[in-house]
Amino acid sequence: MENSTEALVARPTDKVLIYHLRDVVRTREAEGTAFRLRVPSLQIAMGEKIALIGHSGCGKSTLLDMLAFILQPTESGAFRFRPERTDDPIDIAAYWDKSRQNRLGDLRKKYIGYVMQTGGLVPYLSVRDNMSLSRNLLQMPNNDMAVEELASHLGIRRHLDKFPSALSTGERQRVAIGRALAHRPSIVIADEPTASLDPIAAEKIMNLFIELVDELNITVIVASHAWRHIKKLGLRQLSHRTQRTSDGKLTETVVTG
Amino acid sequence: MAHLSEAFRLSGKDYLREWRISGSFIVALAAVLGPMMVLFGLKFGVIGSMVDELVHDPRNREVLSQGSGRYDLPWIEKMAQRPDVAFIVPRTRRIAADMQLASKVSNKIINVELIPSGAGDPLLEGLGALPSGANQIVLSELAAQKLMVKSGDTIDGSIARMFRGKAERQHLDLKVVVVAPAALFNREAAFVAVDLLQAVEDFRDGHRVASLGWDGVEAPGERIYPGFRLYAKTLDDVAALQKEMIAQGFQVRTRAEDIAVVKDMDRNLTLVFWVIAVIGLAGFALSLGASLLANVDRKRRELSVLRLVGFHTGDIILFPVLQSVFTGLVGWFLASGIFFGVSFVINKLFADQLAEGQSVCRLLPEHFIVALVLTIAAAVIAAMLGGLRASRIEPSEGLRDI
Repeated sequence: MENSTEALVARPTDKVLIYHLRDVVRTREAEGTAFRLRVPSLQIAMGEKIALIGHSGCGKSTLLDMLAFILQPTESGAFRFRPERTDDPIDIAAYWDKSRQNRLGDLRKKYIGYVMQTGGLVPYLSVRDNMSLSRNLLQMPNNDMAVEELASHLGIRRHLDKFPSALSTGERQRVAIGRALAHRPSIVIADEPTASLDPIAAEKIMNLFIELVDELNITVIVASHAWRHIKKLGLRQLSHRTQRTSDGKLTETVVTG
Repeated sequence: MAHLSEAFRLSGKDYLREWRISGSFIVALAAVLGPMMVLFGLKFGVIGSMVDELVHDPRNREVLSQGSGRYDLPWIEKMAQRPDVAFIVPRTRRIAADMQLASKVSNKIINVELIPSGAGDPLLEGLGALPSGANQIVLSELAAQKLMVKSGDTIDGSIARMFRGKAERQHLDLKVVVVAPAALFNREAAFVAVDLLQAVEDFRDGHRVASLGWDGVEAPGERIYPGFRLYAKTLDDVAALQKEMIAQGFQVRTRAEDIAVVKDMDRNLTLVFWVIAVIGLAGFALSLGASLLANVDRKRRELSVLRLVGFHTGDIILFPVLQSVFTGLVGWFLASGIFFGVSFVINKLFADQLAEGQSVCRLLPEHFIVALVLTIAAAVIAAMLGGLRASRIEPSEGLRDI
């Protein structure tokens, strides 16, 4: 655990913090029990590869959703996002306060790629259209073979004109990774991207994912419950601990890093 | 703009992908809208041809004077100036308004009633000629048949009187300028200028007719007419004219009641039609609305994914709205097809009883446009609830449903 302000000063000046969170809390209450995720301090530098390891239900998804601006923090001391080295940090907490959902959507569209645990593909769009979803919204050109090249890397080029329902689970996850990367976001957030696969396929796809992210120089945050092969990929792990109050009514996870 | 076009494209793909559901809603709409269009087409066609007939038959605009009144020329001229009067001619006494006609080719001599006519007579309009002066005549078809003459022929007209104790007869050469078909007038009659009618009456009364060289005593004072032939400008003027003239003490007869019956029927059938149409469209809108609402719940995850990749709230609302508009558009198209098919069959069935160009079941282009506008409006209203529900989907909610 480190003090956030000291950490900010201590880091080399050429490091740009893509995320800077301080005292961000998300509380969820259901049927007499409450769950709380607390982030006293979190700083992620541009280009970093981050792993968030923990058993399911510990709050990994909650943190990732907040980092993707699809879940509003209950409280936030500071929540800043700086996707461009040359621009000033953006005050995400202020956008939430003003309910500027569309503005958050625009940031997500441009800077964030999100890979879900299972698919999250649009069933009525072909693999090509699914992968081009963000590119089309951003009016990026369709003729530069970027999607085809990415599909080749991911080994799904021959499936480009198929619909997701015709693919295996592993192939769908490759498409999901492709969609998250196709528009060259600043950061990719992946929530247990290989959890639904068998261990051998999971390792293969995870390796491929990290390889691509490395190659494209994209910041990445991966949540996983399996540390074993994540460690081999050289990711920085965020530390967290979960504790339950004596009466069992509140479960709190604290994440720092 | 990228958002709008993408929302349009994606909702269209979704719509096509679920063609079974989309198709059944299109068929459901056409099943409501098609029969409604046929029903309105029938109402419009049947009532339309009845109104057409009323409008096109000048006899429906006639205001007939009844019995024997006393009308002078200034009154007739004043009536002719009125904006709601298309045509008026004075009538002479009926007892003096007949003539014996004979032709060289027929051995029949017939006695016909003389009807006053003149420029602008709606009854003879379209025949191409009107009688003027004392030597022209328009024969009714029945009279022309008996005399075996056609337009252009000259016939002999004669009138008789008892004058100063002895019988006298005067003959006139009359040129048949045109024959009026039986559909216009189905008695033996002749239309002549008012001048000739007045001469005939004067002769019978023993008055001198200087223009024709007929001897007699000088006519006393101003002429009084017992009646007139009057045509109102439009159908709508008939009832008012009748009411006004009766109020003035004149006895007149019109077909105002027949006109009123058709108009009442039109109004009542229109009302019935709209009641059916509103119930039908509202029912359709309700079922479409409920299904779109269920659709939004069913597609929660997909819509969440779209929000995740950056679609705005407004784009998401567009999804059910656009799909609803697609249904409205295609359903309307199909309903129009149903209408064309059914109206073709109906018109074929009634073809024998219809005049050329008439149809029992028909719609004007603007009726199709009104149907389209109403359908799209109902569809958009139906989609509003679904759209509202869709807009409230939080991206994080729906993502991990499964």
